[in-house]
Amino acid sequence: MGTRVDNTSVLEAKLQHVIAEPIIEIKHLVKSFGENKVLKDFNLTLHSGENVVVLGKSGCGKSVLIKCIVGLLKYEGGSIEVYGNEVATLSQKQLDELRAKIGFVFQSSALYDSMTVCENLEFALRRHGKKFSKKGKRIGLARSLVLKPQIMLYDEPTTGLDPITAREISNLMLNMQLKYRTSSIIISHDMHCAQMTADKMAVMIDGICYAEGTFDELNKIQDPKVKAFFE
Amino acid sequence: MKNKQVTSKEPFSWMPKEVIAFFKETGELTSFGTRFFREILFPPYEFKEVIRQCYQIGNKSLGLVGVTAFIIGLVLALQSRPTLVDFGAEAWLPKMVGVSIIREIGPVITALICAGKIGSSIGAELGSMRVTEQIDAMEVSGTNPFKYIVVSRIIATTLMIPVLVVIGDAIALYGAFLAVKMKGAVSFTLYFHQVFESLEYSDVMPSFIKSFFFGFAIGLVGCFKGYFSKKGTEGVGKSANSAVVVASLLIFIIDLIAVQVTGFLGLI
Ligand SMILES: Nc1ncnc2c1ncn2[C@@H]1O[C@H](COP(=O)(O)OP(=O)(O)OP(=O)(O)O)[C@@H](O)[C@H]1O
Ligand SMILES: [Mg+2]
Repeated sequence: MGTRVDNTSVLEAKLQHVIAEPIIEIKHLVKSFGENKVLKDFNLTLHSGENVVVLGKSGCGKSVLIKCIVGLLKYEGGSIEVYGNEVATLSQKQLDELRAKIGFVFQSSALYDSMTVCENLEFALRRHGKKFSKKGKRIGLARSLVLKPQIMLYDEPTTGLDPITAREISNLMLNMQLKYRTSSIIISHDMHCAQMTADKMAVMIDGICYAEGTFDELNKIQDPKVKAFFE
Repeated sequence: MKNKQVTSKEPFSWMPKEVIAFFKETGELTSFGTRFFREILFPPYEFKEVIRQCYQIGNKSLGLVGVTAFIIGLVLALQSRPTLVDFGAEAWLPKMVGVSIIREIGPVITALICAGKIGSSIGAELGSMRVTEQIDAMEVSGTNPFKYIVVSRIIATTLMIPVLVVIGDAIALYGAFLAVKMKGAVSFTLYFHQVFESLEYSDVMPSFIKSFFFGFAIGLVGCFKGYFSKKGTEGVGKSANSAVVVASLLIFIIDLIAVQVTGFLGLI
């Protein structure tokens, strides 16, 4: 239960994390759609080489959060700094340069279903032209990985997969971190996945970062709102 | 207090909601169209995608356009004949049929069929691309989705509808020929000779030009509706549906404007 790849690499990763500089800094983020206030005052920092797992109920704004990071959605308040650059102020060209460093795995895996697997992968390397199989999620992941990004944003990468494949994906995410020193934000409801991959976890409730800490720290919290995720 | 804020923000809040929605939509459609012209000017150009879309659009609608045009031509000739016979002007049948098909019926019917067939499929396709986040995925992967998806499709419809109109016209004229032949002896060459003799530059050109506008309207509306599709399966259905409705309406509006313009230029 909860065994990581091996203990030395965990320690290494932890050590790294102590001296690591912040890659993504989200401060007081506010985002709403009309009357619907989704993010109210969200704070989160992703350090270099770190995996942060974000937990939260359906519809609480997790996808919105990571779409704000890559500039797909415009936020009204607060700031998101990636490598020290405020995302909202970037020009289109700068934004494209930033996006080239970020891999994004979409919740719906977002495969171009007019293309084959290979073409989907090639598209990431800019090429064009039929069908994808039910292994969609894995292909979506592969598409983001071919570019060897420095930052990975995973939107529910294991949801809807069988436990075995889910574990494969979790291992893959872990390997990405260890091999390429990618820093990742992982959105997940899957506690096994979270336990395997997370250096740090953040619980999003009512548009704020309600609790933050390692898996074991959060597991000990008695607050019923947090406890609910660990049952 | 909340109400006050709303009225000070929106000066037109006294208008019915539908009217505001109409103007809002018109504005958005216009700026969508403006963006098309802005993006078409700058590289990269997605030639391969344009060709692929042209092939798809032509291939998808050719059969339907052909069958409809054939029936329309046939029925038009059959139904006009008795009236012309009453006036002793039976010999005018090819002329009359030719002019009405080329000037009006061919372009409009073809465009309406394409609005149903192509407009809805573009609306649904782009809608589901939006819903399954494919458009977002393109954007983060550094491909301009507007250019890759929207611009290529609008170019393809703008180029292909005129081609389909020409083919549709030809098939409708052939349909009319069969109807004429059914009732009296007329040779293929004589019939087409009469048709083309009666046609003038001012009949052909305006209708050819207007079919580009029909094509543009179909592509633009389909893409607009799909691109801004609302989440969920229902959203996709709605965008496909309203793409057809709005495109068909626009076709008639363009037709009306075209008739005014040609009249103004003295081409009628
Ligand atoms: N483009 C949009 N326009 C309007 N509202 C939106 C949009 N995107 C998201 N929302 C709203 O924002 C809220 C949060 O959505 P989001 O997709 O981030 O949820 P989530 O936490 O990812 O949930 P899930 O686990 O279901 O993926 C929802 O209430 C949703 O209706
Ligand atoms: Mg989500």
